[in-house]
Amino acid sequence: MANVFAFVESRGSELRKVGLEAVTAARTLADDSGGGEVHAMVLGPTGIAGKAQQIAQYGADVMLVVEHADLANYSPEVATATAAERIKAGGYRGAIFSTSAQGRDLAPRVAARLGVSVVTDVLSFEVDGEAIIVRHPINIGKVIATLAISGKPAVIAMRPNVISPAQNAKAGRVENVPPAIDPKSARVIVKETKQGTSGKLDLAEAPVVIAGGRGLKVAENFKLVEELAAAFGNAAVGATRAVTDDGWRPHSDQIGQTGRLVSPELYIAVGISGAVQHLAGMRTSKTIVAINKDKDAPIFKIADYGLVGDVFEIIPALTAAVREAKKHH
Amino acid sequence: MTDNSGVVLPSRHQAPLPVDRLILTGPPDAEAVPMDVLFVGGGPAGLAGAIELANLVRRDAEAGGTLGDVQIGVLEKAGALGEHSLSGAVINPVAMRELFPDLKDGDFPFRGPVTGERVYLLTGGRSFRVPTPPTMQNHGYYVASLCEVVRWLGEKAEAAGVNIFTGFPAASLLTEGSRVTGVRTTPTGLARTGEPGSGYTPPTDITAQITILAEGTRGALSQAYLEWQKVPSENPQIFALGVKEIWETKKPLDAVVHTLGWPVPLDAFGGSFMYPLAPNLVGLGLVVGLDYKKTTTDVHEMLQRLKLHPLFKPYLEGGEMVEWGAKTIPEGGYYALAKRRHGEGVMIVGDSAGYVEVASLKGIHYAMQSGMFAARAAFAALKTGNASSASLSRYDEMVNGSFITNDLYRRRNMRLAFQKHGFFVGGIMASLMTVTGGRFPGGKIESETDAHVSRMAAKSESIIPDGKLTFSKLDAVFKSGNATRDDIPSHLLLGPDVAPEVAELYTHMCPAGVYERDGERLVVSPANCVDCKATDVIGPRWTPREGGSGPKYRQM
Amino acid sequence: MDVRFKVGADAISLDETGLKFDINDFDAWAVEAALQLREKNAGSEVTAISLGPDVVQETIRKALSMGADRGVQLKADKVPFDGLAIATALAAELKTGGYDLILFGKMSPDSSNGVVGPMTAELLALPCVTAISSLAIEGGKGTAKRELEGAQEIVEFQLPAVLTVDEGLNTARYPSLKGIMAAKKKPLDVKPAQLPTPQVTVRKLELPPERKAGRIIGEGATAVPELIRLLQSEAKVL
Repeated sequence: MANVFAFVESRGSELRKVGLEAVTAARTLADDSGGGEVHAMVLGPTGIAGKAQQIAQYGADVMLVVEHADLANYSPEVATATAAERIKAGGYRGAIFSTSAQGRDLAPRVAARLGVSVVTDVLSFEVDGEAIIVRHPINIGKVIATLAISGKPAVIAMRPNVISPAQNAKAGRVENVPPAIDPKSARVIVKETKQGTSGKLDLAEAPVVIAGGRGLKVAENFKLVEELAAAFGNAAVGATRAVTDDGWRPHSDQIGQTGRLVSPELYIAVGISGAVQHLAGMRTSKTIVAINKDKDAPIFKIADYGLVGDVFEIIPALTAAVREAKKHH
Repeated sequence: MTDNSGVVLPSRHQAPLPVDRLILTGPPDAEAVPMDVLFVGGGPAGLAGAIELANLVRRDAEAGGTLGDVQIGVLEKAGALGEHSLSGAVINPVAMRELFPDLKDGDFPFRGPVTGERVYLLTGGRSFRVPTPPTMQNHGYYVASLCEVVRWLGEKAEAAGVNIFTGFPAASLLTEGSRVTGVRTTPTGLARTGEPGSGYTPPTDITAQITILAEGTRGALSQAYLEWQKVPSENPQIFALGVKEIWETKKPLDAVVHTLGWPVPLDAFGGSFMYPLAPNLVGLGLVVGLDYKKTTTDVHEMLQRLKLHPLFKPYLEGGEMVEWGAKTIPEGGYYALAKRRHGEGVMIVGDSAGYVEVASLKGIHYAMQSGMFAARAAFAALKTGNASSASLSRYDEMVNGSFITNDLYRRRNMRLAFQKHGFFVGGIMASLMTVTGGRFPGGKIESETDAHVSRMAAKSESIIPDGKLTFSKLDAVFKSGNATRDDIPSHLLLGPDVAPEVAELYTHMCPAGVYERDGERLVVSPANCVDCKATDVIGPRWTPREGGSGPKYRQM
Repeated sequence: MDVRFKVGADAISLDETGLKFDINDFDAWAVEAALQLREKNAGSEVTAISLGPDVVQETIRKALSMGADRGVQLKADKVPFDGLAIATALAAELKTGGYDLILFGKMSPDSSNGVVGPMTAELLALPCVTAISSLAIEGGKGTAKRELEGAQEIVEFQLPAVLTVDEGLNTARYPSLKGIMAAKKKPLDVKPAQLPTPQVTVRKLELPPERKAGRIIGEGATAVPELIRLLQSEAKVL
């Protein structure tokens, strides 16, 4: 029996999906350690307490709510001090964070303050007696390491999307925790959190990326790619260097070695042959679809699904089919 | 432009060598880095020369000499030593032994001695073992990876106090009158437009009392120097293109294997090799003279076909291609050597000078030995304070009195017979030449540059790569480790009138897919270039580009 | 680019044959940031510190070639995976250095863990901003930008501080020939790394399953329904 701590990430007064994933991971770890409570901490501005019940839905027994008017932005020093103090007092088996910009910032600070180590970007974990065994990609994902964490608590930051937040409703009692230090006294202060421009999805962020290459023949044909992106609704449009060099698209749209590096859930390559420099920018995408008239194009080697044929015939058909599929969703 | 019969003459579409860019006449930059002796190129020739010179200087100091501090520099265009080095390679250890008299063969970075050898004549489906010609006997030699040899030589050179600058291609020779005074490096961080981009580093001038050009095959500065100084040769230099792959295999290979015949067409000169590097590692490649006669002759594709042949396939099946590379080889031999390979403040060594003996497919020991000769001439020049052409002529004398010139002379007409007479007649003549020690047929067979050999437009029979045994050029470039920044200005100078047939020739000539015929037009992807220099021989001119560009060979 | 890693015979370390070691991009940007600050602040000095076996001397030399003034190698036979152990050894060296700013790359590609910078900051009790993509320093205070998922943070901090560097902060300069020559004469101190017993140990290394070979699911628009089906039921991305 052991209790597990989870840090629930928020931005402004909203919980982030990775935060709920951390709760689900903590629930799993507590259950695997012979059952125990999950104590989930959330920091935020006045009103964040209203999110406590949502956290309980995902398996938290205790919600540690740190509510303060000056916590509208992330405060690394407040979060570190408050989480570390609580974890130290709580005698937890493990402390779960997220491998997000915030989690990468917070988890090592908290661990160092506790005098324990930390593993980020964790793909999976299991309990092995006194140790917790985690899998973690090294060498930019080209090797997977299995690591044993002997420190207590085991501090781990989960990779986003490897655990789906699972409904597991608990009664959940709320405990209000004051910030361990005055947010105003912090030596590091986030002055502002600027949300990305809404409407247009950023290439690096979009869950779906549709990229076009020279196979589109002329600039005007890029509207086919844009229409397909619009049908998805959550897609950004990218291009190869050949296309941006020819001025069909701005250079900021270029995906590849010297352009943007993307790793979306779904990457659709339209009329792209697959030069090394382009592959370098997108090969880590989760699912890759290639559409090209040349069945020997190298892009097909790394594509999960290949469609051979005329892009001018296939893309409109695909756009219509995606629109239809989205409608029934 | 092609004439009515669909004949392409490559020279007609080739830009001239940009001598005005490669030879600079102004004074060096005030901020120039001073060296005493500068080797341009960190391959076997440059590094062996640098080590030899450092040893001579050290021994001189130990004996109470008064030379004082001598700065020896090696400029290398690759990001790290060995990354642009590629060879078969079976190495004759003679130069290694001379350079490292205290080491034994077992101390050298070789993969192993040649324990057996077989030569085959191939047809499309069959192979016939033929007696190993005397010129191809490799007993007593070693199989090696040139990358590894070069890295090892680099360590030795650094330990001897040589300054090695990797990632610094020499873009131009600095000259004063007819004297070479140093080099200027390429700038780094240019944007596509040629304007300085972010991270721009301007060129650096390096001055030297003596500059030794060890650029390797088809060296841009070496060519420019010879053209600028109008140094003649009996015949022009001619080249072959070698494409090589390294495979992790399931089945061990117990001998060095050479083949002749298929898939090389009868109107081209070439053959293949397969060497064991380790019990589960082989290097194999195909070398074809660039004086082939059809626009669609394609060395990379022929190598892909070769791997499907019953002689090769059993070794490769179930294995994995781990590295790919390409390089040209100067094949002109004796008659293509420049009348002098030295001048005021300059010497030309190794492949840049053309020290390759085609019949035995050897050049590494000549390269090293010539670098060492140049080092001795340079040392004598430093001692006397005289780096004049007359002083450095000792270098040519040493080369001419050595096995280098002797070997090349004995096989002086062998390769040329093929250009003139084709595979069968040329082959018979070559046998006679071997038997007669080069005395048959007497005199010199004339040759022309590869660019002056006309090509017939032909139908292309492209192979469809399966991604297991056979690979497209784009896959191949990936396996060369090439990660050239794709927004540097193009380093390739296109000539006039690139008609579709010419584009077709370039598409097949380039093993790295730099050129692609797209209907009527030629699409150029300079970032794919692996610096094999085939393009400089019969296509658009190659010029030095940003340091660290090109392939990153590890075991080639 | 296509570096292939091989797991060593012991299954817990990588076979380093033929691998080339070089400074990683994040560290190069960190060095560049330090050099730019030195250029703006006459009299300041840049020290490059690396922990590891002798191959890291090459990395330190690279920093010295770029322009750093001196180098320190904290010598260890092997770099442990444990970020706390590394941070402890670094903090012991850094605490007496009187540095105004300590810059790290945001992560080493080798361990891909990215924790040493903020852990060192904690051990030194210094303010810390991680993964910065812009930086301005004036009058003992700094302002930095951090990229978040779909947003940016503007962060103010007090000096002395620890910063870790992300892409976008700058473009690292290439070492010049003169810089390489000068680097040979710059001091490089070698000291033993004071590494505590690690709390994270490697049990096993393995290569990820190969991306399964792609398949051509059909030709022309008639294959679209099959693609939609696969995206929905197999890849679950639609």
